[in-house]
Amino acid sequence: MKLKSYLKLFKISNIDFSKEIGISSVSLSRYISGERLPEKKILNKIFKLTNGSVDANDFFLSSSPSRDLSEIHKKEIKKMVLNIRGGKLKDLAKAITLVESSLKLHNAQADFLLSKLKQNKNSLRVGITGVPGVGKSTFIETFGMSLIDLGFKVAVLAIDPSSKRTGGSILGDKTRMMKLSVNKNAFIRPSPSQGNLGGVAKKTSESIRCLEEAGFNIIFIETMGVGQAETTVYDMVDIFLVLLLPSGGDELQGIKKGIIEMADVIIINKADGNLKNTAEITMLEYKNAQNMISNIREDISPEVFLCSSTESIGITKIWNFIKKFEKIRRDSGSFYKTRIQQQTKAIWRNILLQSQDYIENNLKYNDSVKKIIKDVEKNNFDVNNASKIIFDFILKRNT
Amino acid sequence: MDRKNIYKGWEEQASKELRDKNLKDHFWETPEGIKVKPLYTEDDLQKINHEIGLPGLPPYTRGPRATMYTNRPWTIRQYAGFSTAEESNKFYKEGLKNGVMGLSVAFDLATHRGYDSDHPRVVADVGNAGVAIDSIEDMNLLFDGIPLDQMSVSMTMNGAVIPVLASFIASGEEQGCPREKLTGTIQNDILKEFMVRNTFIFPPKPSMRIVADIIEYTSKKMPKFNSISISGYHMQEAGANQVQELAYTLADGKEYIKSALERGLNIDEFAPRLSFFWSIGMNFFMEIAKMRAARYMWSKIVKEFKPKNDRSLALRTHCQTSGVSLMEQDAYNNIVRTTIEAMAAVMGGTQSLHTNSFDEALALPTKFSARIARNTQLIISEETGICNVIDPMAGSYYVESLTSSIVEESQKLISEIDEVGGMVKAIEMGIPKMRIEESSAKRQARVDSNEETIVGVNKYKPTEKQEINILSIDNVEVRKRQVSRLQKLKNSRDNKIVESFIEKIKNAASSDENLLEICIEASKNRCTVGEMTSAMESVFGRHNLSTKTISGVYKNTVKNDGKIDIIDNELNKFVNKKGRRPRMLVVKMGQDGHDRGAKLIATAFSDLGFDVDIGPLFQTPEEAAKQAIENDAHVIGVSTLAAGHKTLVPLLMESLKNNEASYIKVICGGVIPPDDHPFLYDLGVSKVFGPGTNIQEAAIEIINLL
Ligand code: B12
Ligand SMILES: Nc1nc2c(ncn2[C@@H]2O[C@H](COP(=O)(O)OP(=O)(O)OP(=O)(O)O)[C@@H](O)[C@H]2O)c(=O)[nH]1
Ligand SMILES: [Mg+2]
Repeated sequence: MKLKSYLKLFKISNIDFSKEIGISSVSLSRYISGERLPEKKILNKIFKLTNGSVDANDFFLSSSPSRDLSEIHKKEIKKMVLNIRGGKLKDLAKAITLVESSLKLHNAQADFLLSKLKQNKNSLRVGITGVPGVGKSTFIETFGMSLIDLGFKVAVLAIDPSSKRTGGSILGDKTRMMKLSVNKNAFIRPSPSQGNLGGVAKKTSESIRCLEEAGFNIIFIETMGVGQAETTVYDMVDIFLVLLLPSGGDELQGIKKGIIEMADVIIINKADGNLKNTAEITMLEYKNAQNMISNIREDISPEVFLCSSTESIGITKIWNFIKKFEKIRRDSGSFYKTRIQQQTKAIWRNILLQSQDYIENNLKYNDSVKKIIKDVEKNNFDVNNASKIIFDFILKRNT
Repeated sequence: MDRKNIYKGWEEQASKELRDKNLKDHFWETPEGIKVKPLYTEDDLQKINHEIGLPGLPPYTRGPRATMYTNRPWTIRQYAGFSTAEESNKFYKEGLKNGVMGLSVAFDLATHRGYDSDHPRVVADVGNAGVAIDSIEDMNLLFDGIPLDQMSVSMTMNGAVIPVLASFIASGEEQGCPREKLTGTIQNDILKEFMVRNTFIFPPKPSMRIVADIIEYTSKKMPKFNSISISGYHMQEAGANQVQELAYTLADGKEYIKSALERGLNIDEFAPRLSFFWSIGMNFFMEIAKMRAARYMWSKIVKEFKPKNDRSLALRTHCQTSGVSLMEQDAYNNIVRTTIEAMAAVMGGTQSLHTNSFDEALALPTKFSARIARNTQLIISEETGICNVIDPMAGSYYVESLTSSIVEESQKLISEIDEVGGMVKAIEMGIPKMRIEESSAKRQARVDSNEETIVGVNKYKPTEKQEINILSIDNVEVRKRQVSRLQKLKNSRDNKIVESFIEKIKNAASSDENLLEICIEASKNRCTVGEMTSAMESVFGRHNLSTKTISGVYKNTVKNDGKIDIIDNELNKFVNKKGRRPRMLVVKMGQDGHDRGAKLIATAFSDLGFDVDIGPLFQTPEEAAKQAIENDAHVIGVSTLAAGHKTLVPLLMESLKNNEASYIKVICGGVIPPDDHPFLYDLGVSKVFGPGTNIQEAAIEIINLL
């Protein structure tokens, strides 16, 4: 990291630090501003004193443009934040675009934007998962409308699978949230997953913060019940709903057992028409299958509900349980504790993703790396040493 | 010499003529997946699995009547309707003077969807794509001077079928024609509305009950009236191949029979009054075979319900030449296409026929184009001698073989529907719609990569522009007139009585009373179409489809001739510059239910690498703008085919502006007459794409635009 940031982070004054190295504070300022470059001996001292946080690269390589935003951009973003607070949907939409974008500039703008947002403790973040077609969007439509009637502002982030082969996608969730999508107290944003479920999910938690800033107090995240996106989403919501079809066996439903274990609420949807009886049987099965059901939350156990999203049956019961869940956990403080833990997890997740991104988009194209791999292929080099050398690239990476 | 050796001899001879080419390469796999050989022989007749029989006798493969056209040619029945009842009435009378033998009413989309002309959701729809009918008063004007006891009237009405049929019956009685003397057909085929035509109003269950109400009522009170026209037409127009059209239509028919039987009706009470409706496209022999296969299969299907009367087994049909086969480019070619299609319908043994006008892809027909369309039929009927022989195609090696193949292939599709529990269930699951959209995407991919020729569009393109006069409707004026007539009606009627009828309709809707019966009385008492519909809506609710989409079909079918690489390249550049893929919201605004183009654009563009949002049907411009803003689309792609563009696009632009979102670009596609392009460009529309657009070329243009 830059020396300037280090000193700021640990609240060390320039004078104190210059004394410790044994140089004048004027020289130190020159090093910091980049006017002069420190010599080898001084570099070593700084490296040791900062526990390796500040190394030679931090002086010799100029920082990436993405980290520094121009004043004009900052001003734009500040205005955007004000507009978001003022309820301008256009700015909210643009903010989410910045968050989701793959451009470095946009990421920098998003970073700056996120730094301007407040922490919102009053919102409720609801994760919803289930196999394609189980009725997630329809459930959100019905449930969301009833929440709006109660005076809430409801936002929905729907993560759609992108087609891997072409990269394009069709985002049709809104056609199943017909009333919600035209309601002025609702905001729905379907996002393509770009083939990288984890990646979008990371962005999702940042999008949630934008939505909260705009005053949306109940936020739904819809994901498909397959793949690893669910665990990621689980780690960014306050309550996790799993929708199931009226029928036996999870294998049949293509949903992983692990996902059921995460559920705070299990909803057997489509409990209407000739599926009603099957739905009741399914409910009993889940109620009895205690081993399936999680005990992750220390203060409240999951419950199973019957629901018909199309006929609006079971909605009130589900809402009552969610309210109870929220109250108990807020009162005990576990609600906030979980959010704090989630933040820590988010940090590590982001780091993992950034490394992954660096590997996929930079490292794999690095000529030296390519050469090393060629050598391994030709048996001129062993896997262990090769990996170590390549890993050094990550350690040295500064941008 | 035995037959086998003769055939061998032919093969040798043919191979010689083909020189270095292989005879095997001359087999043709049709879009239905049927393998057509270059030559059919007597042998093929031995292999057929359907009965040919005789005309007028079961299984009716050769026609429902023993004499067919030798006694009386098919009925020339031109589908028409536009703007006000007075204007349409004039048009009908003109047609009747010039050879038209039966009327066929086209209603506007407001009426189709059960809205009166003064409803805010239909500002762009009144009078545009058919005639506006708000009440019995309009019906009276529509049939003014046309004696309903002598004229058979067909009405394409499905969603608002109860109030419209009720107003028609009531109007007949005010004219002095008792209901039992009325002849004609009501389309009343709601299943295909959920599948492809999109003018449904209520959810499937109450909608099916309405169908049964009508079958029941007409079978008892209107013996000469066809209670339903089970339609494959719209499926083919939406993209279905002939086998799909046939199979799904027969499956629909089965479902209607079941629901009428559940009503307690006897099969012979209503089966003879079920009629059918096919689209006739350019695959000449396939269409003829389809019509024959249909008659054969229907007789088998009905037989399972054990009718006593043979007439219950006979399939009677109306046909219309295919609208989608007609093009905006080089439009006079359409006259030739329609002629060929009309010939196929006649060879297939249709009972009545509509021939399209050559300006089909531009607007509703003018007097001039309508005349040519009519004359096409008159010429076939009166100049060719075709009518003098019954079912001339019977026994043709090729046609009979093809008929057999169609029977076989469509049986497979029908079984698939049966397996999931019938058509209502299949529609809920979206099976037929998905299959039809697949066929539509495949067809577009073949045309886009020049594997299928359309003269004047992807081959032999004209070098000069042709000017064609088209019909333009002043929708604002029509709406004003309708609204003032409605106002007058509401001021002059007894509103107390009206209210009491509204209550009665609600009660009937929540019980099992026959809705048609009550609505006839309500119409006589000047309840409007919109009022009767909303009374039922208060009980049934208003339905909208959740839009499902397919993916991958376009990309898998299209041949990469370099354009795909260009698109990939342009997309990469775009992503590097903008940080995400181009995002397009495809919208359908107003009551226009033509969604084939919109669905196609959505699936093809996402296959090509766009992020595509797709809006629900029937959006208002404000709703579309909200969705585009929230999703942060780069561009809104408006697909508009029912002449609403001149009202809806300005409203959309305004809505974007009001939300400070004019950075979102707007493009339009669909049926937009060239004369309207300047109007749209002046508004700020970035690009207009007409019928026949090559999707890959459009994609490149759009990326560059952004
Ligand atoms: C197919 C069709 C139908 C089908 C629709 C099936 C469906 N689910 O879509 C059926 C049979 C159901 C039907 C019914 C009716 N139809 Co119609 N129909 C047609 C027809 C023959 C073809 C349209 C079509 O689908 N073409 C194929 C598709 C792929 O082409 P396209 O939509 O033009 O799209 C291409 C381009 O335009 C462009 N494009 C389109 N949208 C977009 C969007 C973007 C973003 C981009 C980039 C490009 C783009 O790219 C596409 C690919 O090339 C047209 C006439 C014609 N030949 O165009 C009449 C036509 C549109 N119908 C008409 C009418 C009146 C009706 C009815 C209202 C009749 C009535 N009164 O009952 C009904 C009601 C339907 C309803 N609910 O709205 C009129 C409209 C008159 C007018 N504009 O003034 C037309 C023009 C026929 C006519 N001349 O009378 N119809
Ligand atoms: N009968 C019945 N049908 C329902 C119910 N909920 C949803 N459906 C239907 O199930 C289908 C799929 O519903 P969606 O809400 O799109 O399901 P989804 O889980 O969001 O699907 P994806 O977004 O594709 O993963 C639609 O046709 C709905 O109408 C219900 O409670 N009862
Ligand atoms: Mg969904």
